[in-house]
Amino acid sequence: MAKELFFIIIGAVFVNNFVLSRFLGQCPFLGVSSKTETAVGMGMATTFVLTMTAVAAYFLQNYVLAPYGLEPFLQIVSFILVIASLVQLVEMVVLKISPALYNAFGIFLPLITTNCIVMGAALLIPMYKYNLIKSIALGLGAGLGFTLALVLMSGIREEMEFHDVPEALKGPAIVFITAGLLSMIFLGFTGLVPLG
Amino acid sequence: MQLFKDFINGLWNENPIFRMVIGICSALAVTTAASNGIAMGLALTFVLTCSSILVSLLRSVIPAKVRIPCYIIVVATFTTVVDLFMKAYFPALYEVLGIFIPLIVVNCIVLARAEAFASKVGLARAIADALGMGLGYTWAITLISMIRELMGAGTLFGYRVMGEGFTPWVSAILPPGAFIVMGILVGLINVINRKTAKRTQCH
Amino acid sequence: MNQYARMIIVLMIISMASGAVLALSYEVTNPTIQEQARQKLEQSVLIVIPGATQMEEIQKDDITIYIGLDDEGNKKGIAFKTAGSGFNGPIEIMVGYDPKEGKLLGIEILSMSETPGLGARIQEEAFKDQFKGKSVEDEFVAKQDVEAISGATISSTAVASAIKTSLEKVVEIFPVGGDY
Repeated sequence: MAKELFFIIIGAVFVNNFVLSRFLGQCPFLGVSSKTETAVGMGMATTFVLTMTAVAAYFLQNYVLAPYGLEPFLQIVSFILVIASLVQLVEMVVLKISPALYNAFGIFLPLITTNCIVMGAALLIPMYKYNLIKSIALGLGAGLGFTLALVLMSGIREEMEFHDVPEALKGPAIVFITAGLLSMIFLGFTGLVPLG
Repeated sequence: MQLFKDFINGLWNENPIFRMVIGICSALAVTTAASNGIAMGLALTFVLTCSSILVSLLRSVIPAKVRIPCYIIVVATFTTVVDLFMKAYFPALYEVLGIFIPLIVVNCIVLARAEAFASKVGLARAIADALGMGLGYTWAITLISMIRELMGAGTLFGYRVMGEGFTPWVSAILPPGAFIVMGILVGLINVINRKTAKRTQCH
Repeated sequence: MNQYARMIIVLMIISMASGAVLALSYEVTNPTIQEQARQKLEQSVLIVIPGATQMEEIQKDDITIYIGLDDEGNKKGIAFKTAGSGFNGPIEIMVGYDPKEGKLLGIEILSMSETPGLGARIQEEAFKDQFKGKSVEDEFVAKQDVEAISGATISSTAVASAIKTSLEKVVEIFPVGGDY
């Protein structure tokens, strides 16, 4: 069991990185990756919400949607509403408990609702028929993978500011090409996790 | 005239993929074959247009404080409708597009147009804008997927176009190819835009 | 009107309308979706059991077994579903098996999301055909007794080991040479 969980997390972080190989969470990956400091904040906030969403999606799927046969037509609506409410709740709780923490990543929270990595991970849980622990591992792994990609990219972008980039490629274009090279590096992790 | 301007806006000036660079998750993920690009584009155009119509019609009814939850419910409803109909009538395509059909619900283009445009203007302008944005998205991701399919498999819409001696550049179909093709296209569109901008300045 | 009451009423009306639209589309599409799924299943069973023209579904120790019959009702073999984890997600496979001979009759890929041009080539006949005639004693190891698709060892291994695992369970229920 422990081995399986380890493989789920390693798989989500390296082998099938949610950003660089599954293409989830591209908007913040491009938008919030210009400074390492903000990248870390965004990554942490997303990881937190992802892990909680994984738990919520598991219970919603297995105790509400599946038993009553609502899955085919209420899954999308209920998942997105739960994610939106969860993000709102986390924002309020963090503000009450620790204003310092809120200042660190509170501003990123509203952006997370439309981050497709959260909805994507929620949708994968019923698809893979994961149990509760595995669902949490998937959420955590997805978040860590997202943070890793974001922090790597922000480091490269900070460095890139001091270098000449062809005029036409300035802005998102060079970020895409850099992401392509990063993604190629991550292809090297293929086969790291044994299957079956 | 205004309607035409709203329509053209999404096709080029504010093309969601190449100019605004939003909603690109699906543009990178499903663009491994040209037919996927068209199908994904049309699915998004449908959700975007229906949502814009409803948001525009209800703009005076929905209280400002609960507008986002309302938009989310509207978008999620239309996404599920597309999801169900594709599953029923285009099962092969539905399987290829996978979770990116349900993920239309969190596609930034849909919510952004509902919030920034459709909620502020009349029905006709909302429809023109939604169609422009949707088709702008469609041609953009179809172009990306055509390039990737051509380089990565030597085919277009499943038909072989490259000669026998062509060795497929498999990377184009793998994840890195998506990022690199996208980056080069965004750069190219930048160059074209700067050229046309200069020409208008000269006159 | 109280603004909170108005918010609640608007949200309620929108949710109810949404529910109605969804229930309606579900009613309209569900028969087609079910029919599609059933047809696809039957088709794959008939492909993996050569000579079968109809199928019968039975449940044995929480494994669903499909028995393939020809026009006269003679048993031509059995089929079962299995799944492995591929490069991009689960790979679902239908396996045809002849318990009398103890040999595989054929396999069919039901669903997968492997990379086109690489892992997706597990759907090609050349890859699927090599499983014909294999028995439970075989190793089912890619690059040894199973020819792996070049550049897609993960997908090939996933298919081979999924078949092996399920086949061992099925052989316990239907011993080689016995009746079924």
